[in-house]
Amino acid sequence: MLERIKDYLFKTWLIMSALIVVLVVVFLFGYIFINGIGSIDKEFLLSEPKGIPIGIEGGIFPAIIGSLLLMLIACVFSSILAISTAIYVVFYCKSERIKSFIHLIIQCMSGVPSIVLGLFGYALLVLYLGFGRSLLSGGITLGIFIFPFIQIRVEKTLKEVDKSIITSSYALGVSEVYTLFKIILPICRADIISAITLAGGFAMGAASPIILTAAVMFAPVPESLFSPVMALPFHLYILTGEGISLEKAYGTALVLMLLLLVINIISIILNIKRKESR
Amino acid sequence: MLNIGEKLFKWIIKLLTFLSILLLAFIVIFIFNESFVFFKEVPIWKFIMGRSWNPLGPAENLSIFPIILGTIYVSIVGICISLPLGVGIAVILSTYTKDRVKSFIRGIIDVLAGIPSVVYGFIGLLVVVKFFEVRFSFAAGESVLAGGIVLSVMVLPFIVSTCAESMDKIYEEYSQASQALGVSKSYMIRNIILPASKRSIIASLVLALGRGMGETMATMMVIGNAPIMPKLFGKTQTIPSLIALEMGMAEVGSLHYHGLFAAGFVLMIMLLLVNVLIYFIKAKMDI
Amino acid sequence: MNVLEIKNLSVSYGDKLVIKDLSMDIKKNKITAVIGPSGCGKSTLLTTINLLLEENGGQFTGQILFNGKDILSYEKKDVRRMIGMVFQKPTPFPFSVYKNLTYAPKYYGIRDKKKLKDIVENTLKRVGLYEELKDELNRSATKLSGGQQQRLCIGRALTVEPEILLLDEPCSALDIKNTANIERLLKELSKDYTIVIVTHNLSQAKRISDYTAFILDGKLIEYDETKKIFSNPKDRRTKEYVEGIFG
Repeated sequence: MLERIKDYLFKTWLIMSALIVVLVVVFLFGYIFINGIGSIDKEFLLSEPKGIPIGIEGGIFPAIIGSLLLMLIACVFSSILAISTAIYVVFYCKSERIKSFIHLIIQCMSGVPSIVLGLFGYALLVLYLGFGRSLLSGGITLGIFIFPFIQIRVEKTLKEVDKSIITSSYALGVSEVYTLFKIILPICRADIISAITLAGGFAMGAASPIILTAAVMFAPVPESLFSPVMALPFHLYILTGEGISLEKAYGTALVLMLLLLVINIISIILNIKRKESR
Repeated sequence: MLNIGEKLFKWIIKLLTFLSILLLAFIVIFIFNESFVFFKEVPIWKFIMGRSWNPLGPAENLSIFPIILGTIYVSIVGICISLPLGVGIAVILSTYTKDRVKSFIRGIIDVLAGIPSVVYGFIGLLVVVKFFEVRFSFAAGESVLAGGIVLSVMVLPFIVSTCAESMDKIYEEYSQASQALGVSKSYMIRNIILPASKRSIIASLVLALGRGMGETMATMMVIGNAPIMPKLFGKTQTIPSLIALEMGMAEVGSLHYHGLFAAGFVLMIMLLLVNVLIYFIKAKMDI
Repeated sequence: MNVLEIKNLSVSYGDKLVIKDLSMDIKKNKITAVIGPSGCGKSTLLTTINLLLEENGGQFTGQILFNGKDILSYEKKDVRRMIGMVFQKPTPFPFSVYKNLTYAPKYYGIRDKKKLKDIVENTLKRVGLYEELKDELNRSATKLSGGQQQRLCIGRALTVEPEILLLDEPCSALDIKNTANIERLLKELSKDYTIVIVTHNLSQAKRISDYTAFILDGKLIEYDETKKIFSNPKDRRTKEYVEGIFG
């Protein structure tokens, strides 16, 4: 009898959890979509913000470009470091202690709050190195932000390569580096690209690392690595926080989410392609 | 010839790895450097325990105790809301669903993790805060509770994925034996899987706490940004929001400026401790 | 003629001693079978000979002479080129049949397309896959059947023109028909190559090998012509093993 009650309560808990979460997800997307779709038109996507205060009219084109460029720089910077570190840990590092140490460091890096990374970027890149608020400063800061994510995933992928295939290559007298480039990396390619793409999505959506290092309220499409940029998440914040235009804010939010959706779809497609080739 | 190429490659890899590891040291050093200027004026003890934050006043008036509390309080509220939901979803994922349905649900949860925090803050402001103002006639809906609600959605994916991972393993290990005894699935979950998952539930809590405490944009837009002692329905301030909000206004090199760095330093240390904790909990779990 | 002379070989992984003071000579162009219960060090013996041992975390003492010279005086990659190895589980690289067979030649610098094509054709003919695969060279090697994959792996090992071929239980993952195919292949190959095969299948050893070595607990118990090992073993333990008393 007691068991029946417990069972009933338990199942109710499960169902309620599922319902609540489903509702929340549907609501999140629906809300942005419904409210934002009205603001999106060609002018919105392709022109600069205008009006007084700036942003109340016009579009968000420089912010879209800014976000994409920041994401690009962040991905390049972080993937070089992350893939190298992953290769080192899986193939070159012989000491368990060093491996654990590196894992600890990376766990800690993933725990540094994004605003503190912004402070760091500000202190080192903007001020000390004199890059100023720029695409470069923001891109590098974002790169540090997504570095742990990529490293952990790439390491996992490299580890999962069938050891007997690697040994077979060595048994033919082939060197480690040749094996890495001709066998191991091609096997892992889709997963690595997928990880970088997902990380790029996170970089694009992050506002706090770039508040202090790159983003400004208004800037044209950047001309060099050292120009300040507009970025979608920051623009959304400004439009809302300064109360400039709710309408345009919805539009900005929707554009941001759609861009992220595209990035995620690319990543999923890559995943499916990998599963098929197995 | 081949040998030189090999050695060069290995050397480059080692160098890049070394640089990556150095990053953390750099971060700690730079933040500390800028905070140190402040700590020379105000000892760290006073900074952490003092109750007033007034950038316009003398140095002694820059302290962050209420803000530290606010940071922790909002996260805890978020976790309290999210934990039952997250564990529930994890149970459903690991024991009641398979293959395609499972992947689909995981996909949805991952999507939640991918929504940028500004968007959460935005929706939080327009929906949650407004809800409090309209429904309950609060003067202002910005509150710890609003922050907690927004955070709960954001940390949900972390709780689900950490718990589901270990519940998967536990389920696989014990389900056959349990079924052979003829007990119901729900009984098995309540008596075997949940107790056995305690460790990973705790790990997910700590993970969520770390995530919540470091969150900037989403909380900033819904908590009211008042550096006072936090109450559930009252306004509060968190360290990340403080920094994001006031850094633009602080003159480079001023005490206010260094004070903000000092706050960032304290936050960083708090989160470093949380993450070391996570590392050790995870390490013990794998054994 | 002894192509390999193993003298007082002891192999250990960390503190664990796996092969104890083993000495034997491998004769050229003959098939030598290594038999013994699981875990007695047979596979380790092979990976020591082609110097894969270090990558697996082990060390050895004693001496191995390859064609009269100390094996350590050769460069590692040369040793592996001259002493090829095929593993228990077929390990085709995840690309086409053609690329699998040109992988090693390309590494060693052969670029000429005609030459590579000849290597592929000849290798496939050698391992009896030519008729089956000649029109499907671009097919992914992972889509081949188990028996075909293993023959491909043997062929791949042959593309670098080794003198010795080491095989570690190559048929244990295959069915009877494929096993018979590979046994036939090995007998063919032994005209040109020296073959050392680790096997737990006693009838296989009886069928194809010229010499058999029985290893127990890391020690070489008996090593003689196969006929003699199976019909009139000198050591009591050998007798018990080949009669199937313990496995």
